[in-house]
Amino acid sequence: MTPLLILAPLILLAALGAVWMARPVHAALMLALSLALVAVLYLALGADFIGLVQFAVYVGAVAVLIVFSLLITRRGDEAEEIQRRPKSLVTGLICSLPVLAVLLYVVSQTQTGKPERETLPQLPLKELGITLFTTHAPAVLGIAVLLTAVMIGAALFARETGKTPQNPDGK
Amino acid sequence: MTPLATLLTLSSVLFALGLLAVLTRRNAILVLVGIELMLNAANINFIAFWRYGPPDPQLTGPMFVMFAIAIAAAEAAVGLAIILMVFRHTRSTDLNKLDSLHG
Repeated sequence: MTPLLILAPLILLAALGAVWMARPVHAALMLALSLALVAVLYLALGADFIGLVQFAVYVGAVAVLIVFSLLITRRGDEAEEIQRRPKSLVTGLICSLPVLAVLLYVVSQTQTGKPERETLPQLPLKELGITLFTTHAPAVLGIAVLLTAVMIGAALFARETGKTPQNPDGK
Repeated sequence: MTPLATLLTLSSVLFALGLLAVLTRRNAILVLVGIELMLNAANINFIAFWRYGPPDPQLTGPMFVMFAIAIAAAEAAVGLAIILMVFRHTRSTDLNKLDSLHG
């Protein structure tokens, strides 16, 4: 319980930074921090393997991908973003606060009671692997097809075509 | 507050923060940041119910999280590729300026 009470505010602070930081690169780095803290949370909850996967995929791949995209598309117009914020913030709060209220109401109505297991469960890696490649084998194949399609699609999207009409200075 | 309730509250607030980021950010890449936050909030729920729920030999929660992480990585890759392509055409990732379909 104690690591939970330490990690939860840290995760929320980092996420708040990701939402609030004016400079896009700072926001992306706060997202990386938040994702890393979630990985630590998984480790503290006993889901070691999931924590390591979270660290490798989210912190190692997704966050770094986002930072690199921000560097590629940097235009230096963050001041504009700051000026425009108050108006969009009101709209965002009007939409997201009711969602938060409903979610918190549902959580407060949930009868969580005492935990069924007091001891920390271990994520059995052997069973995880066996279940993954027997019960969920079709899903694993589906993911494989999806990742192949994504790889080809992303390469097609991102490749230099040479036909960029509104970009006379080239790149 | 039980540990499960704490985790569910954490996940709810994280989801709302992600939604706020999606709605207030004008940079398309930072909208993706908000989406990643929301996906993480959902994953925390799965792990919380696996940890504090009744023992589950099928390991449904962790299995779901693994697939969700794989899908999220694919989504980020395609999303960023699309944003890069849009940037190459318009020299901007500002969502307010991408209004060529505006009636």
